[in-house]
Amino acid sequence: MKPLAPPRKPRHPFAAVGLHLGLLFVCAGYMLPVIWMVSTSLKTAAQTQESPPRFIPHPWQPENYVDIFRHPTFHAVLYTRNTLIVAILTVAGTTLSSAVVAYGFARIEFPGRGVLFAIMLATIMIPFPVTMVSVFRVFRWMDVHTARWLGPDNLFQMLGTFKPLWLPAWFGSAFNIFLLRQFFMVLPKELSEAARIDGCSELAIFWRIVLPLAKPALAVVALFSFLGVWNDFLGPLVYIQRPEQYTLALGLAAFQTRIGGTPWHLLMAASALVCLPTLILFFLAQRTFIEGIATTGGK
Amino acid sequence: MTRERRRNFFKGMAFISPWIIGFAVFTAIPIGLSFYYSFCDYSLTRPSRGPLWIGLENYNQMIHDVIFWKSLGNTLYYASMALPAGMLVSLGLALMLNTNIRGQTIYRTIIFLPSLVPTIASAMIWLWLFNPSEGLLDFLLNKAHIPSPDWLGERLAMASLAMMSVWSVGNTVIIYLAGLQDVPRELLEAAEIDGAGPFRRLIAVTIPVLTPVIFFNLIMAIIGTFSILTVPYIMTQGGPDKATYFYTMFNYDEAFRFLHMGYAAALAWVQLAITLLLTGIAFLTARKWVHYG
Amino acid sequence: MRIIKRIVYALLAVAAAIFLILGSVQNRSVAPPGFTIVEYWEKWNDPEAAQMKVIVDDFNRTIGQQKKIFVHFLSVSDIDQKTLISISAGVPPDVAGTWDTQIAQYAALGAVEPLDDMARRHGITEDYYLPVFWRGCSYNGHLYALVSTPGTIALLYNKQIYQECAQQLRAAGLDPDRPPRTLDEFDRYSDILSQRDSSGLIQRAAYVPLQSWYIPEIVYWFGGDVFDPATGRLMLDSPKMIRAYQWIQSYAKKLGPRALMDFKNGLGNFDSPENPFLTGKIVMDQQGPWMYNYIAHLKPEFSEVKVPISRQWELKDRTTNVAWGVAPFPTDVPGLSDVSYNGFDALMIPSGARHPAEAFEFMAFVNRQDEAEKLNILHCKNIQLRQVSDSFYEKHPNPYIRVFQDLAKSPNAKCCPVCPIWPEVFQSLVDTAQQVSLEPIDPAQALHQTQQRMQGEYDRFERLLERRQQLGLD
Repeated sequence: MKPLAPPRKPRHPFAAVGLHLGLLFVCAGYMLPVIWMVSTSLKTAAQTQESPPRFIPHPWQPENYVDIFRHPTFHAVLYTRNTLIVAILTVAGTTLSSAVVAYGFARIEFPGRGVLFAIMLATIMIPFPVTMVSVFRVFRWMDVHTARWLGPDNLFQMLGTFKPLWLPAWFGSAFNIFLLRQFFMVLPKELSEAARIDGCSELAIFWRIVLPLAKPALAVVALFSFLGVWNDFLGPLVYIQRPEQYTLALGLAAFQTRIGGTPWHLLMAASALVCLPTLILFFLAQRTFIEGIATTGGK
Repeated sequence: MTRERRRNFFKGMAFISPWIIGFAVFTAIPIGLSFYYSFCDYSLTRPSRGPLWIGLENYNQMIHDVIFWKSLGNTLYYASMALPAGMLVSLGLALMLNTNIRGQTIYRTIIFLPSLVPTIASAMIWLWLFNPSEGLLDFLLNKAHIPSPDWLGERLAMASLAMMSVWSVGNTVIIYLAGLQDVPRELLEAAEIDGAGPFRRLIAVTIPVLTPVIFFNLIMAIIGTFSILTVPYIMTQGGPDKATYFYTMFNYDEAFRFLHMGYAAALAWVQLAITLLLTGIAFLTARKWVHYG
Repeated sequence: MRIIKRIVYALLAVAAAIFLILGSVQNRSVAPPGFTIVEYWEKWNDPEAAQMKVIVDDFNRTIGQQKKIFVHFLSVSDIDQKTLISISAGVPPDVAGTWDTQIAQYAALGAVEPLDDMARRHGITEDYYLPVFWRGCSYNGHLYALVSTPGTIALLYNKQIYQECAQQLRAAGLDPDRPPRTLDEFDRYSDILSQRDSSGLIQRAAYVPLQSWYIPEIVYWFGGDVFDPATGRLMLDSPKMIRAYQWIQSYAKKLGPRALMDFKNGLGNFDSPENPFLTGKIVMDQQGPWMYNYIAHLKPEFSEVKVPISRQWELKDRTTNVAWGVAPFPTDVPGLSDVSYNGFDALMIPSGARHPAEAFEFMAFVNRQDEAEKLNILHCKNIQLRQVSDSFYEKHPNPYIRVFQDLAKSPNAKCCPVCPIWPEVFQSLVDTAQQVSLEPIDPAQALHQTQQRMQGEYDRFERLLERRQQLGLD
């Protein structure tokens, strides 16, 4: 594995000051909408509509954050639970299955490997609309047939449950397979060879030797897929109909009303809360993120 | 096949079997079905109301559909602004964030933060910012006595949306940062010894080494541009006068509001074809400017 | 730093565990055992949802107990999409509360069950409803929906601003004490009531056609129609439609397209204190009886000219207590009066619903005279029935309720065009209205293009439907 090149310190103090100024300017621009979100989340309903707009509401209403939990249609705890269920199942599934498949593509030379890998890469380019309706039909077909043998509302029912959201993750995700495969390919072949000579099964090599070395890359896969699930809106929109199964992203959408009586202050408070876990996660895992992608990056 | 090759074949297939099963059930079959539907009239209401074969009618209709061309044009127009802007800004930010200055972690978190804000919230926030009477942007511009543009009017709306997309380049920046870690220190130091200034080092060493990552991000950006749906739906509903009517919105409307799933499937296939075309072009030109190893 | 990280991770894990365990906490009204559960998905949020819940509770307490039915009410956003998806998934609700604009489309595509037999058994026949609402619920000779709450549209005008501009109105030969009676008069009132400031920006627009929720239906007030089911022809480029769109364009021209769009984009949301009508930015609007509730909630002073709202029933003529007025929206055709658009919230039974019979029990209950009157007083809307008790008018909070109901009873009452591709036609007409307002394009030309496109869609729809029927695929 290549030693990482640490970032260089700029030579001139002017360069450092210039950089700071530039970054501050950019960050101010990037933070402005977010600050606005937090600011709005502390306002009363009337204050959200006033013109000219004010950043610091006076008086402020932090009770908004409590009101979120008491809101009649936005069930914060329930939606968080739903999102967590889907997230944990998806992350576990993606990480595990993508690692297994990537190992196959990276560490075992077998005929047809190249072709299959190319096909897998091509699937990354398929936009969601192409398969959206048809996957739905596939699930429906499965439901009809399992219902025939096992009666309605059986364990294998797909539609009306969370399964359509997390089950496909257990069969590998092309993007993550790609990422992990790049990483696995960098590991020296001698490691596996030595283990094979010692009589280790391939599975043992995978589990005991390769996987532990891949922790940073696995962390990246886990984190990115968590972020993806947390904010996923289209998937739940198509597959979840009952309000008691809504995820956070769907729940936020329900704040919007058609005739525009959206309670902005509540919506922003809820959004801020929804951001928080991912933000904390990112802040803590930043270094792992970047190091993890670094050794796989785009080769 | 030799015994070892056969053994490896089975081992390999065993390991990639989850993907093969998943591919068959969740990708290949749906794609096949979707391809079939694109030649049918299908409304996906009552399950017993199946698809009706109509041959090339959907594709024929597409060619004569004014709104198809409008939405496609809109999307390409958006891409022509958002792609270069996004690539330049994200690369620039990554370069700035790669220097070992104090507060590096905080700066990076701040730049990444917008990608974490739920789409609904960011759409609402930006809608607010662009609002002519109550919005922050116009308010600030008025204070500085600069005439405020018609942000979401039919001439500027796309540009405003492109500006908004630059706001969420966090993901791309992180990937660039990772790529920058791979720039070999020895090369940079050698260049410095040869008397190359920082800018020259950037062009001669950093960027060439970074080209595979740039290429990866370009492909991802092309794919991403074609999936934009939620934001314009909330902000402009595709207006005014279809100025911000993206291809995916058209696909969505045809599928779920007008219940023409067959036509929507055909539209999705055309989208796939265009995406493949664009990435194909990228791949072909890649040989000229992407350096591996 | 590491210790902090570990603590944070541990806390997160604990929080996650708590969430997963606490999970299914929800104040879900539990149905008594052995009861058939009717799933009812409705579009409304509070306060309308809470008001409907009163009726649901009434049902569950009375007929529900008798016939062992329990209606489970759910507020669902994006109800039309969610309902469609659930129908195709085979897990639809038993009652879906959507809109009149979708009845024809759903019926034609087999998404909802016909209700004729069940309705007849419950005594809900053509003479139970006002003709306009019965027409709206029917498609191809069959009944596919029932009304939950109707909404007749009329002219809503700001009496206060009329009085403020009394002098100018009188100088132009107009009467500030009454609303315009013809469209021509309406235009003249608009010219005087609109205001600009010194820099040319619109401060007040008397009327903004593009703000209306009923843009395509404007042709009704020009004596025209959108669709003729008998011939299967859309009439989007008929002379009357062209005249209607010329009228829409004239307003954009008068106010200036750029200024108008700026003004329109700066208008507040309907359900907020910045409601354009309530802030006086717009003087006249096309609205329904529910406006009273919104005014009482957002700007009660507007309805308390003489006495507070709670004491309004002491007055002989309650219309004197409100600073706003309601009248039939004026028409462009001399001799044509009392034209109204009658939309409504619809209750339908999706295809594949598990308990259609029980679902209809509930729908019939909502349409029982006493319950319907109760619901429409709560929602502040008029009523779809022919027979209405006097107490409905007396107890109704909107002082102009008789105006609305008379409009609904008039032979010139119009409902949603019974066209199976109405959502597309609606969208295309809205787009055309935007187009003619923004560009100096000839409305006849724009409408002709729209007509060609939409007629093509409709013909295609008919042709494919026929082929399906031949093949037995529908």
